[in-house]
Amino acid sequence: MPKYFGYAGRVLRVDLTRSRIKTKPTETNLIMEFIGGRGFNSARLYREVPANVDPLSPENKLMFATGPLVGTAFPLGARFNVSAKSPLTGILGDSNAGGHFAAEMKFAGYDQIIIEGRSPKPCLIFIRDQETQILDAAHLVGKDVYETTRIIRKDLDRQVQVATVGPAAENLVLYSGIFVNLARPAARTGMGTVMASKNLKAIALEGTGSVKVADSGAFWRIVEKVEEETYAHPQYWPRRIMGTTRILSLADNLGFLPTRHFTSATFEHAAKVSGERLAREYNVKNRACYSCIVPCSRFYVVREGDYAGLYGEGPEYEALSSFTARVGNSNLNLALKAVDLANKLGLDAITTAECIAWAMELYETGELSKKETDGLELNWGNGKTILELIERIAYRKGFGDLLADGVRRAAEKLGKGKEIAFHVKGLELIQADPRGLKGYGLGYAVSSRGADHLRSEPFLELSDDPDEGMKKFGIPEATLRLAHRGKGRLVRYFEDWCAVVDSLEICKNLAENMELLPLKRAAEITEAVTGFHFAEGSMSKIGERIVNLERAFLVRQGITRKDDNLPPRFLNEPLPNGNSKGSVFEIEPMLNEYYEERGWDSNGIPKTRKLRELHLEYAIKDLKRTDVKVRKKRNLKN
Amino acid sequence: MKRIIVDVDRCSGCRLCEAVCSFAHENLFRSSASRITVVKEDAFGFDLPVMCWHCSRCLPMETCPSKALKRNPEGLICASEECIGCGKCVETCLVGAIKLHPERHTPLICDQCGGKPICVRKCPTKALTYSETNVQRPKLPVKVLEETLRKWRIIA
Repeated sequence: MPKYFGYAGRVLRVDLTRSRIKTKPTETNLIMEFIGGRGFNSARLYREVPANVDPLSPENKLMFATGPLVGTAFPLGARFNVSAKSPLTGILGDSNAGGHFAAEMKFAGYDQIIIEGRSPKPCLIFIRDQETQILDAAHLVGKDVYETTRIIRKDLDRQVQVATVGPAAENLVLYSGIFVNLARPAARTGMGTVMASKNLKAIALEGTGSVKVADSGAFWRIVEKVEEETYAHPQYWPRRIMGTTRILSLADNLGFLPTRHFTSATFEHAAKVSGERLAREYNVKNRACYSCIVPCSRFYVVREGDYAGLYGEGPEYEALSSFTARVGNSNLNLALKAVDLANKLGLDAITTAECIAWAMELYETGELSKKETDGLELNWGNGKTILELIERIAYRKGFGDLLADGVRRAAEKLGKGKEIAFHVKGLELIQADPRGLKGYGLGYAVSSRGADHLRSEPFLELSDDPDEGMKKFGIPEATLRLAHRGKGRLVRYFEDWCAVVDSLEICKNLAENMELLPLKRAAEITEAVTGFHFAEGSMSKIGERIVNLERAFLVRQGITRKDDNLPPRFLNEPLPNGNSKGSVFEIEPMLNEYYEERGWDSNGIPKTRKLRELHLEYAIKDLKRTDVKVRKKRNLKN
Repeated sequence: MKRIIVDVDRCSGCRLCEAVCSFAHENLFRSSASRITVVKEDAFGFDLPVMCWHCSRCLPMETCPSKALKRNPEGLICASEECIGCGKCVETCLVGAIKLHPERHTPLICDQCGGKPICVRKCPTKALTYSETNVQRPKLPVKVLEETLRKWRIIA
């Protein structure tokens, strides 16, 4: 094996059909073109999972990858991406999680783990340094996330890191996640479902290996600078005290808090379910991902009231907002119980809440009757129903079975509620109303995994400072959150940055939102750690390359401009209240601007010139074919 | 004597201490070769850094079959060349402060970095401090866990 700095230097491939385990060196060209993490996964998926693969078939491949800084003392988190073709959306599936799994994967000696095929019976992969075993997992079938983790640690080693799926995944609920450290899911796009479809219940790993740094002088110089900036940052204490839950009050104040299924942008009970209240009355301590100096995760204990005695880690803003404002629930204890239940059963909280909120809106407007919901009363904030539905979804019971395929399919099957099924490309919207945040909205529309903010997270528009927009993008409106102009350039810039941060597997909250890892510094630290030459320009090229290759993956699956859209409510109904009142979303001009910035044609397909410029020649022929098809169809119409 | 003292309520379990410890002693990042280890119970959000307290009475020292554990002039316990790598000390240390180096198989015992412990300096939450104490034996991790859970009212 080649000796690398930063990288573990190995890629592990486990074929579950034939019980074959192979190790190969991490390819240098992959490193130079895609860095690691998300870049590795997207690059390999593009080559190895063609358009006709059924996401739940043995032919789909599930990939875990981490980055070169992970396992070192670089203090901004240590994450991993898990990717496959998504059973929920049919396009690129990809999710990211923190905790301690990624660092352990490096110590075990792997930059990427690829799972292929399907095991004939339930199994567990146990990796201890260079030794990988496929173990029987019959005793873990049907066990929840917490129990599975506990049993594996009892059987193998107390401190082993476990990535597992819950019963929801085993029942092939299409939005099941993969959970590490109990409450840290790679939740989006149904990666847990893919894992369960391979009869793989969990991956447990531990390692005694090391991560070496090429230039330790430069490494510590950069680390000390980052530490200094972090501790002095105005967001340091708010994040330490509340983590992302601080956003709930902020979203309510600015008027983009999705309330009662996006029928309101403020929640009258926001203060009762806020991060501030959690910090005051529930949190007992902070927790952090490996080597991170901002311990933004919180451990809570419910001391009184409903579910007194409940305790756990989290929740983050998305899950908290999911089971409070989005479903109209003002009982914080109940929300904590709901998040705990979703974690335990292995569900994506965001999608689960969208499915429930969608059904609630239909019920409240009289379109859905009690007969159709198996007697469940789906009025806003009905706690009993929320908990019951989470269970029924996870076990695909009755009405829960309908919701278990995600909101797009549920609306199709039910034959109603299609206009208010809030998803893009099959992935349910997160907790920020795009009418109050235009850059985020464009991000949802064009993201390579569907309606999600983590592909771009253009937080600068929250500054509402035109000088910032002028300075950075040459367009003052770019950083005004309610303006439409300049958002193409804004989103493009942030998408490229996000792709780099995801490939280094550093935390976006710190790298991006706190601006601790601009591309220039990302290049410097990567060079110091790996010894490979990276410059600011090559970093942004890598980001652009990843975004374009992911787009090519989508185009190959038939995605074009028509799919880069938002649900009609956001385009037609002005926000009824709050500090973004009256705002609607105008998608077409924003798309035009974005495609132009990207070097894509007016149909959203990367131009040959752009692909060639990014060394993505192998994608050209796939896209040409789509081009031709589109043109032919148009000709027929004419 | 001066010792590294842990405030368990402040520890976030980030294990940066392990990373910087391994770098200070081995010149690479390797949690398995650090002289400090964070013991974790995810289910209870429990994180406790454990390292040698240099107790006045040291069971590993007393029971070492090759008498390889010695106390230096500052009172710190350290392993000498007589060590045969049997790992008996790992089992006999009551707080679980010792682990063996994954390759050399010699005990990894905190040396307080010669009076300037890097883990204390880098701890992001100030859960670790380095100060004078007369306490001769640290609390057992299981006891610390019990006390924590009682304080949080998770157990009665």
